[in-house]
Amino acid sequence: MCEANVYLVRDGVEELLMEKVDRVVPGADDTVMLESVFGERRILKARIRELELVRHRIVLDEVRPQVDADDAELWLVPDTGHGHFHPGEEVSLTLWKGKGMRPGPGLAAERVEAFVVRGGQQVAVGLQSEGQGLRLSLGQGEDGLVTVYAREEGDRRCYAKVIIEVGHHHHQGVEPVGLPLEIVPRTHRHVHLGDHYEFTVLKHGRPLAGATVRATYPGSRSAGYPVRVATDESGSARVFLTAPGNWLFSVTDGDVTSTFTLVKGF
Amino acid sequence: MVEYSERQGTPVCMSQSPLEKAVQFHRHVCPGLLMGVRAAEFALQFLRVSPDRDEELVAIVETDSCAVDAIQAVLGCTFGKGNLVFLDHGKHVYTIASRERHRAVRIAQKWGNLRGAEFERFRALAQKTDLSEEEELEREELRGRILEQIMSLPFEELFDYREVQLDLPPRASIHPSVRCVRCGEGVMQTRAVETGQGWLCRPCAGEA
Repeated sequence: MCEANVYLVRDGVEELLMEKVDRVVPGADDTVMLESVFGERRILKARIRELELVRHRIVLDEVRPQVDADDAELWLVPDTGHGHFHPGEEVSLTLWKGKGMRPGPGLAAERVEAFVVRGGQQVAVGLQSEGQGLRLSLGQGEDGLVTVYAREEGDRRCYAKVIIEVGHHHHQGVEPVGLPLEIVPRTHRHVHLGDHYEFTVLKHGRPLAGATVRATYPGSRSAGYPVRVATDESGSARVFLTAPGNWLFSVTDGDVTSTFTLVKGF
Repeated sequence: MVEYSERQGTPVCMSQSPLEKAVQFHRHVCPGLLMGVRAAEFALQFLRVSPDRDEELVAIVETDSCAVDAIQAVLGCTFGKGNLVFLDHGKHVYTIASRERHRAVRIAQKWGNLRGAEFERFRALAQKTDLSEEEELEREELRGRILEQIMSLPFEELFDYREVQLDLPPRASIHPSVRCVRCGEGVMQTRAVETGQGWLCRPCAGEA
C-alpha cells in the first residue's frame, strides 16, 4: 500500500475527502491528521472505520461535536423530501433534539408534548420513539396548511414549530400559535433557493426587537450557525436562502429557545 | 430505526427557479454558478426567448468554470446537444444567440466586480484544506453574503453586455461511424483518420 484515497462517511453518505494520502495520524479528542503525497495536510474530527489495503481506501466516520444538554434545541422535520404532502397521503414528521440540525441524545417522549394546530384548534398528538427522534403521525392529510409544534418544559424551555402544506398553493398569511417565544413567517408560500425569507420574532405575542436569529441548513459543515441576523424594531428580519433543503431558524431569549423549520421543495 | 437525514427532494409538482435548476445540475451552490445564472437569465430577457428545446439557442462560452453549468441548466444549451461551444480563453464571457430572432448578446464579467476584501478572504478560505471550526464558520458566512450580493446586485454592476453580429454554427449533424482498424472501437467518420490500412481513431493515429 503506497498511498490511499480517504473517504468520509457523513450522515450515512460516503464522500471522497482526500486523494493520494500517505500519512494518517490519529490524534487526541477524535482528530485525524491526513497528509497527501502532494504535501497537503488536513486535520478533522473523525474516527477510522476501515482500512481497505488492497483497494487503497481509508474510510473515516465523521465525529460531530457533542451537544451540551443545556444548549440543545428541538426541531421538527416533515417526513417528505418533496416540500409538502398530497391530500390523502400519510402525514408524519420527526422531532429531534440537538443543535443546529445535528441530533444528539436526551429526547424523551415523556418530557415532550406536541400539538397540531388547524383552524385555530389545537389537538395533542402522540409521540413515538424511533432512534434518536420522536415520530408524530398525523394520519391522512387534508388539503390546507397545518401547524405543528412541540414543547419540552424544564429548567430550560424548548419549542419547535413547523408549517406543513398538504396540497398545493396554499399561499396565505400565517397566524402565531401563541408560544412564549415564536418565529412567525410573514406568509406561507413556496420559497425558493435564492429568495429572501422574512419572519417576525414574537415574545408573548409581541414583536421582539434586537433578538439574534440563527439559521442553518443541510450540508453545512459548520458546527455553529452559518447565518445570524438581528430582528429590527418591528421584531422582523430576513435571511437570504443560499442552500437547498429545509432551513432551521432558532432564537433564544432567557431560558427559552424556539425553532422554526422552513420546509422547502428543493 | 429512523436515521436522521435532510432529504433534498426532486420536485415534480412544484416549479423550480432557474437558480434551483442550476444547483440541481451542478450539485452545489457557489459564486461562479450564480454568476452563470445571472448571465443566462439576462440573455433570455435580452433576446426575448425561452430556454432552448431543440437548438434554437447557441451559447459560446469562453471559460469552463462553474458558470457554464448554469448556462447549460438555465438556457438548455448543452454540450451533448451541440449548441454549447467552448472556446478555451479562460474568460468569463458568454455569447448567447437566438437562431429564430437572429440576435446575439455578448456578456462579459466586469473586472473587479467581485474582488473586494470579503471575496478575497472567501477565496483564501475556500482554497484552504484544513479549516478550523472558526474558519469553516467564517467561510460559510462569507459565502452566504457573496451569494446574496451576486443575486441582488444590478446586472450592470456584474457584467458588461452588447449586442453582436454572429455567424452561427450549423445545427448539430449526425455522421456515420467507422471502425478503427487498430482498437476496433467505433469512431465518428468526420473525426477518424484515413490511412492505407483503413480508418484510425485519433488516439490510435497518435493525434490525441
